[in-house]
Amino acid sequence: MTKAKRIDREAGRAYWMMSLPAFLVYLLVMAFPIGLSIVLSLSNYSGGKMFGGEQWSIVGFEQYARVVRDPWFWNALKNNFYIVLVSVFGQLPLGFVFAYIIYRRLVKWPDFWQGILYLPNIISIIVVGLLWQEIFSPNGPIAEAINLSARHQFESKLTAIIGLKGHLDLGDGALGRMLALGGPQAVNMFTNPLPELRDLIKSYPVDQYKQLINDLTNLFVTRWTPQFLDKKDVAMLPVLFVILWMYTGMYLILFLANMQKIDTQIIESARIDGANEAQVMRHIILPALSGTVVNSAILAISGSLSSFALIFALTGGGPSRVTEILSIYMYNNAFLGRPNFPLANAIALITVVISMLLVLLTKAVEGRYGGKE
Amino acid sequence: MKRAIVALLMAAATFGAMAQVTLNVLNYQQADQAGYQEDVQIWQDFQTQNPDIKLNMEVLFNDPYHQKLEAYAAAGTLPDVFYLWPGARSAVIHEKHLAKDLGTLLGADYLKNFTGAATNPNNQLGKYLAELPQSFTYTSVMYVNVKLLKDTGFGIPKTYADLKRMVPRLKAKGIAVMMLPDKDGWPGQSCLFSTVAGRMAGDAFFDNVLSGKAKFTDKPFVDSLKIVEDLFKDGIIQRTDTSVGYGDGAGLFAQGKAAIYLDGDWRTGAYITDKASGKALIDPSDQGNFALLSLVALPGEKHPGVTSAVAGTGWAIADSIPSGSDREKAAVRLIKYLYSPEVQAIRYATGAYVPTRIGVKATLEPLPAMLPPFYAANPDTCYVLDGVLDPSVYNVINNGIISIGNGTETAVQVAADVQKAFVAWKAAQK
Repeated sequence: MTKAKRIDREAGRAYWMMSLPAFLVYLLVMAFPIGLSIVLSLSNYSGGKMFGGEQWSIVGFEQYARVVRDPWFWNALKNNFYIVLVSVFGQLPLGFVFAYIIYRRLVKWPDFWQGILYLPNIISIIVVGLLWQEIFSPNGPIAEAINLSARHQFESKLTAIIGLKGHLDLGDGALGRMLALGGPQAVNMFTNPLPELRDLIKSYPVDQYKQLINDLTNLFVTRWTPQFLDKKDVAMLPVLFVILWMYTGMYLILFLANMQKIDTQIIESARIDGANEAQVMRHIILPALSGTVVNSAILAISGSLSSFALIFALTGGGPSRVTEILSIYMYNNAFLGRPNFPLANAIALITVVISMLLVLLTKAVEGRYGGKE
Repeated sequence: MKRAIVALLMAAATFGAMAQVTLNVLNYQQADQAGYQEDVQIWQDFQTQNPDIKLNMEVLFNDPYHQKLEAYAAAGTLPDVFYLWPGARSAVIHEKHLAKDLGTLLGADYLKNFTGAATNPNNQLGKYLAELPQSFTYTSVMYVNVKLLKDTGFGIPKTYADLKRMVPRLKAKGIAVMMLPDKDGWPGQSCLFSTVAGRMAGDAFFDNVLSGKAKFTDKPFVDSLKIVEDLFKDGIIQRTDTSVGYGDGAGLFAQGKAAIYLDGDWRTGAYITDKASGKALIDPSDQGNFALLSLVALPGEKHPGVTSAVAGTGWAIADSIPSGSDREKAAVRLIKYLYSPEVQAIRYATGAYVPTRIGVKATLEPLPAMLPPFYAANPDTCYVLDGVLDPSVYNVINNGIISIGNGTETAVQVAADVQKAFVAWKAAQK
């Protein structure tokens, strides 16, 4: 054996010894689960011991057909697309603009703004989800602030109808106007609205006028709640807002770091030649960052399709599944009630395929419009 | 030679004495649950009293527990002793026969110490005794703040009309008539709707649905959903309750935010004195101001007085343990310890449940002490729907009740959704 061949053989052995542990870990932790996932998605495995238990077999694309026929899959997919759109067309542009403003020092205390905009990223996702859940809840600060203001206005209207202390108007007209103020739910509370309401008001002594107004306001005021957000499509709005709030900072840091690599003399030359900030951004910064933009878009797409923790903590996919996304849809089928692992694996693989298609689309757009670094 | 033999025999005896059986246990518990400290002590005492059995304990709660159990089942590494539900919540264990039949293993002589309902295998999904129910659980109990009602000029409600009459006066005071925290979905079905459906439609109706002789879109089921619709529309239950988490409900009720609170009998444990802190949500001296009642009479009910109830949870032994082995014997000893009168008395005293073991006595605070008379006063039971329907069907009911509460779907629409889910489930069984 020649010396060169011996060196080659030794080098090959060394390469394998160095990389084998990592390769084995990759096979075990990544490749095997992916392979098993594909096999399970094509099987009729129905729980119990997977290997050595009850026999299961490959049955084809039965589970995929079931997923496609399920309207909740399309609902989850639609919600995920909303998240992709907000991520790609919300987080990225906002992150870019904030990064530009900070990079070009167009605001005072740029380091402070950089820190404050990145802050949501360092808070635990579960804490963020629970925090915003509380903010958007019917008893949260938004609802309380709106209801406090509405309550004052309602009390004024009520006083105008019922009259002042000692001179109460308990005629049918006044009581009818009071019930109208409360809306249909006010009428539903009573079996015989007018007599019952009259009796209720009469039960208050004269010196408890304030208590009477307070209690009638409790009774009739329509408490504003964010429950309009429980409706399909609209229900995703708070979720999208929180996602925008939470992750824009991450892209700000990415873009800012890459902007700082740009030679400042080019920008100064452009400014000397009369270019304004918008022109500098359009003709210098954006082209220089086109690769970063594409990579960020890929990150945003894959992150959007695999997101789980934030929405699970925020809404759990509810109420009534209106904010369910693909990962929660998969989780519910895998673990809630009677688990259906083949179906859950089919959902996971469909999610991967969609993610790959979107990434390929992004690369195609880059090929067409990018590469101007 | 003799010395060698003696030495060998002594070594063998020592080794035998030291030989320990290791049992893997999956326990269902969480630090913020009533009776947690007592639970820790129970397991420590077993270890002390049984040094030849070593317990490898894993403790989980809620969804993580069920997920882990499924993962163990898939891996073929089920723990030796684990906590189990009698119905669809632990479907795979029952249907794949992954737990031993305790009816055979423990024997009739031992099982006669328990109530007939507990040892009836028909009360479990697999129709065999996969677990021994520690209790018979009533999932629908009205916790009534009698003092609050009295202070606002009302007595104990007996009918739906009584509840409706309370709405204006209580709402004026900022108090809800009835609280049902249903953000998690299952309380609406388990703690309210199962009883409503049992009263309006009856168990036979659901048997007919399962056998294909009736549909969820038939009048009895739609009427049941309409009762729920009316409860929200008439202001008896507030629509905002669909955004209140299950864990928040007990505290809100104890603060007097509602006159009546709907939950299962297990919730008495939330109100009694916590041994660690010495605090109680409702002080024992005030517990007498509350009452435990069955749901009021409903308009148009066909089966008055029935209350949803189901065989409770309990302990199971993995079927993979070889029969007659030391591990199986150790598991049986652990099971018998957990179901001993002493341990069951401790659990009873924490308000966790009323044991199915006959003759267990404990010193109880006033609220949990109301449970045995409640059971005696409400002997007629009906199905808990998540014990008889597949999860793909009852989850639609759970979500449907939330939608009705939010006003985004009607009773008729929800009934149609449930029927659709049932048909899809039936088709998947073929």
